[in-house]
Amino acid sequence: MGFLGSVWRWFSDPAHWSGADGIPQRLVEHVQLSAESVAIGALIALPIGIVLGHYGRFGNLAINISNVGRALPSFGILVIAFQVFGLGDFPIVFSLTALAIPPMLTNSYVALREVDPDVKDAARGMGYRELTQVLRVELPLAVPLVMAGVRTSAVQVVATATLAALISGGGFGRYIIDGLAQQDFPKLFAGALLVALLAMATELSLAGLERVLVPRGIRLLRAPVMARATTFKAA
Amino acid sequence: MIRNITSRWLVAILAAFLVVATACGGSTTPGTSKGTLTVGGFNFPESSILANIYGQALAHDGYTINYKLLLGPRPIIAAAIKAGSIDMYPGYAASELEYYNNSAGEATSDPAATTAALNTHLQPLGLVALTPAAAVDANAFAVPQATATKYSLTKLSDITPAIASQLVFGAGPECPTYKFCLPGLASVYGLHFKAVKTLDTDGPLTRAAFKNGSIQIGLVFTTDADLKGLGLVVLQDDKHMTAADNVVPVVRQAAASTEVTTVLNSIDGKLTTADLISMVDQVANQHLDAAAVATTWLQQHNYSS
Repeated sequence: MGFLGSVWRWFSDPAHWSGADGIPQRLVEHVQLSAESVAIGALIALPIGIVLGHYGRFGNLAINISNVGRALPSFGILVIAFQVFGLGDFPIVFSLTALAIPPMLTNSYVALREVDPDVKDAARGMGYRELTQVLRVELPLAVPLVMAGVRTSAVQVVATATLAALISGGGFGRYIIDGLAQQDFPKLFAGALLVALLAMATELSLAGLERVLVPRGIRLLRAPVMARATTFKAA
Repeated sequence: MIRNITSRWLVAILAAFLVVATACGGSTTPGTSKGTLTVGGFNFPESSILANIYGQALAHDGYTINYKLLLGPRPIIAAAIKAGSIDMYPGYAASELEYYNNSAGEATSDPAATTAALNTHLQPLGLVALTPAAAVDANAFAVPQATATKYSLTKLSDITPAIASQLVFGAGPECPTYKFCLPGLASVYGLHFKAVKTLDTDGPLTRAAFKNGSIQIGLVFTTDADLKGLGLVVLQDDKHMTAADNVVPVVRQAAASTEVTTVLNSIDGKLTTADLISMVDQVANQHLDAAAVATTWLQQHNYSS
């Protein structure tokens, strides 16, 4: 029971649930850093991926840059960003955004490429103009894959935001880094556990978001036969 | 399998070469090494210099030395030496004492007495502290010149509780539990700061935080040579919160043979605070290599002889 007992005691200590180093405060910091990075990453990656995917141009370039981006070590980028920008949240968000972009860029490009060309043809035949075609026909069909990219990004960013503590940032990484320096292993373990839980919660909530965003028709198409046998009115 | 006879010969030659190479590779000529010792160091430049001085002196004497430098703060180093993954590290008498006695408050400004007290705590752990050097490097607390002028600060007791509640304090993650840091400031000077920012132990994060104004008081070391250039003023420890932090090697008893002890003690006999300040300046500000700086010092002092 020993070690797990100490971890339990760490969690049941009310002092760890309040104040500047308390779990709620660290949770807010962690979520804030992750959300900012994923949001900025999405603002950069999604439009580029969608446009390139729609026109089918420069796909290889986009995917290759993405792969190189994935290979860059976030820790390395963080240290370089610290040298350039100094202390604060900016270098952290900078390196996490660099981590968030590749999965979203690749997925949104592929998602748009995967749209059935017959559907695009039909849309064009019906008189949809370019932007409307993208927004009303292609994007809804592409949502599952795009959301998969966003989910991958978000979970990676939440897990990697622990690095923030290395340059005096906040978040659950603080428990891990401080726990190691103070040789306080229950704290270190608690920090790791909290990050894992948050990553899972992120995955589940974004899966929920995806269910909301995917058009009902597509969802039913992909559902097993029994679920499909419901009555539904064609809009 | 390999069909071509030329390829088979090539593979055979390659295999033979690898066997010979690995056989020759790792071994030293029997009889010339007196043993292998691992020297550890804290995560700041001065410790790397001291570890290199001890290590190179022992290597000069015939030992094979491995280095594990920049390991981390004291809790990590203590765990490493207790587990035997390092054989020795350059400690600081008063800080070691207050760590191994769980901040019982036994350290004084007398290095000999402090080291003796330290040894009573090290003994049951299978460790021993040797003779302390005259060289001292203690914790100190610095403020930017502007802050010192604003609140008229020259010594730590000038900081009233009212002033303290407006200052943000910065130090390494081990500071809240380290006697000669936050707990000492609270118990000896009654200081409770507006906020505590976790940075590093007198490293680049601390300097960056001073520079961008996110902290107004931080932990530095008395041997830091770059403080003036950064516009920082060290506040005098007038109530003597920090004690005799003389450099002293902490060694595993199993590794502390008579010969090793003699070499290390003779180094300590020659090491002065002025030496530390100039060596740290060379490494931290002039960006020289810690090992090279150590070699220079040893050559100037004729190694351990």
